[in-house]
Amino acid sequence: MNTQDLIKQQITTHSVVLYMKGTPESPQCGFSAHAIKILNACGVNNLFTIDVLANPEIRQGIKEYSNWPTVPQIYINGNFIGGSDIATEMYENGELQELLQK
Amino acid sequence: MITSEDIKSYIEAALLCELVRIEGDDGHHFNATIVSAEFRGQSTVQQHQLVYRALGDKMKQEIHALSIKTLTPEQWLGKNF
Repeated sequence: MNTQDLIKQQITTHSVVLYMKGTPESPQCGFSAHAIKILNACGVNNLFTIDVLANPEIRQGIKEYSNWPTVPQIYINGNFIGGSDIATEMYENGELQELLQK
Repeated sequence: MITSEDIKSYIEAALLCELVRIEGDDGHHFNATIVSAEFRGQSTVQQHQLVYRALGDKMKQEIHALSIKTLTPEQWLGKNF
C-alpha cells in the first residue's frame, strides 16, 4: 500500500486521528502537546495517534495529503480539521465539541 | 536566520493584506496575525492554506513554528486583538 492510501485508511477507520510528533504520553513538540490537551478536554477517549517522527514516510505524506505543511494534524470522521491553532479556535467557540459528538 | 520582518514581507508579497503582524524574535517561533479581504468566504483551514502557500518552501525549511491567526477585515473591526 502506498503512503497516501495508508493515510486514507487510517483516517477512515478511526473516528478521531492525530498525526503528531511523539506520543500522547510523551509529545515531542509544544503544538502536538497542545493538540492532545485540547482533544482530552473535549473528552475524546478513542483517539488514534500516529507518531510522524517514527514514520518518516507518513511525515512527508501527510503534508501532501492535506496540502498542509505542519504537524500536528487532526482528522475527524475522515476530514482534515486543522492543526493546533485551528483546534484551539474551534474548541473556544464550541465547534470542535460539536463535531466530535457526531 | 529568518526574522519576523522576512515573514511579513513573504506574506505581503503573495497575499493582499490589510494588516500583517508577526511577533517572535528567536528566529524559529513566530506568531502571526493576518487580516485580508482574500479570507472572505473561506474556512479557517482554507485561510491558513493561503498563508502557507504564500510562505511556500520557507515553511518547510526555515520556519520551525508559526502560529497563525487569520481574520477578514470585518472580523478585525469587530474584535480587539
